[in-house]
Amino acid sequence: MTNSFSVAVAVARKDLTAEWRTRELVPALAQFVVLALVIANFGFQIDAHNAPSIAPGVLWFALVFAGLVAFGRAFAAEREQASLEAMLMTPASPVAIFAGKALAAALLLVVCEAVLLPALALFFGTPISAPIVAAVLLATIGMAALGCLFAAMVARMRSRELLLPLLTLPLWIPFIVAGGHAVQVAMGASGSYDQALALLLDFDILFVVLTSLAARFVLDE
Amino acid sequence: MSIVVANGLTHWFGSEVALESIDLAIDAGEHMAVLGENGAGKTTLLRILATAARPTSGRLQIMGLDALRERKRLRARIGFVAHAPGLYPALSATENLEFFCILQGVRKTKVAETLALVGLSEVAKRPAGQLSRGMQQRLAIGRAIIHDPKLLVLDEPDASLGSDAADLLAALMRDRTVVLATHDHALANRLCQRTLVLRHGRSLGTPTRLHLVQ
Repeated sequence: MTNSFSVAVAVARKDLTAEWRTRELVPALAQFVVLALVIANFGFQIDAHNAPSIAPGVLWFALVFAGLVAFGRAFAAEREQASLEAMLMTPASPVAIFAGKALAAALLLVVCEAVLLPALALFFGTPISAPIVAAVLLATIGMAALGCLFAAMVARMRSRELLLPLLTLPLWIPFIVAGGHAVQVAMGASGSYDQALALLLDFDILFVVLTSLAARFVLDE
Repeated sequence: MSIVVANGLTHWFGSEVALESIDLAIDAGEHMAVLGENGAGKTTLLRILATAARPTSGRLQIMGLDALRERKRLRARIGFVAHAPGLYPALSATENLEFFCILQGVRKTKVAETLALVGLSEVAKRPAGQLSRGMQQRLAIGRAIIHDPKLLVLDEPDASLGSDAADLLAALMRDRTVVLATHDHALANRLCQRTLVLRHGRSLGTPTRLHLVQ
C-alpha cells in the first residue's frame, strides 16, 4: 500500500531536487521579479510619500506573473518528459501526486518571494515586516493549489500558455484583493489587517479542499 | 485461467476508429505479441490493457477485476513500458527507481536488484538524462518491473535496446503474463506463444508461430 503523505513528500522532493540540479526556474524567476521592480521603479514617480501605496500593487503584479510561470512549469516539465503518466500508472493517489507538485511549486515561489520582498524594500524603501511576509505566504498556499490544478488541466493542450492565465487569474482575484489589502495595511494604510488575513486563510482552506477534490479527476482522466 | 478478458474493445479518436471490437483472452503466464503496421492500433490497445486509457466501449476484465472501475488496484499488479521512457533526467538511475518504489509502495531494497537485472548497475549513479537511449529504455523497463507485476504490458520495448534485447526481455518475461507490441516478427516469434495481428484497428486473428515464420 502506498502512503499518501510519503507520496506527496517524495513528489515534492523529486521536483525540488531536479530544480536544485538544473536551476531552470528559480534564477529566471528571481531575475524576472527584480526586473519587474526595476521597471516599476522607473515607471512611477516614487517618493517616501507614495511608495507605501504603490509598492503593494507592484508586489502583487510581480508575484502573480512569477506564480503563473512557476505553476505552469510544474506540469509542463512532466509533459515534456512524458513522466506524468508513469506516476499515474502506480497505485499512488492522484491527490497525493497533485499535493506534492503543488507543494514543490509553492516552495519555489517562496524562494522567489525571498528575493522579491528584500528587492521591494530596496527599490521602494518600504520595510519588510512579519505581517507582510505572513500575508504573502498565506496567499501563496491558495495560489499554488489553484495554479497547479489549472496547470495540470491545460498541460496536454496546445494553447496551454494562453489558457493558464485565462483560467487562473480570475480565481486568484480573491487572494490579490485580500492579500493586497493586508499588505497595504501592513505598510501603513488604514483598515483591518486581521480581517484581511482571516479572509486569506478562509480562501486557502476553501481552495485547497476544492482543488484536492478536483485533482483526482483532472489527473486521472 | 484467463488473466485478461476483453470483449468488444472499441476506441475512437474523434471520428477515427483506432480499435474496433477486439476480443481477447490471455491466460496466466502466456506471452502474446501484438503486431501491425504503424497506426494499426497497437499502442491504443496496450494503453487500454495497461489501464492508461479507457476504451470508448467494450468490457475489460484483468485478474478478475473490472479494469475500468478498479484501475488503482490493478495498477499495483501491472507493469507498463510506454513508447517514451518517461524518466526524470536530473535524477540518477537509482533515484528514479527509488522514487517509483515510494509510489508503488515497495521497499527501496528492490532498486539494486532491479538495476542489476536490467544491466544498469554500473551507471546507477549517473543522471538518467546522461544515459544512452538504450540505457534509458532499460531503466524504464526496470521501473515497470520493480513492483513485481503479474501482467507486463510492453509497447515496443526492443526499440533502441541493442543486440541483447531478446535475452533481456526473455529473462524479464519469465513467470509473467506479457502483452508485447513490436515490429520485429522474429522477436515476437521467439518470445511469445501467440500473436494478435492488427490492421486499421481490427484483429486479423491470432496466428500461430508457424504462420508467422511462413
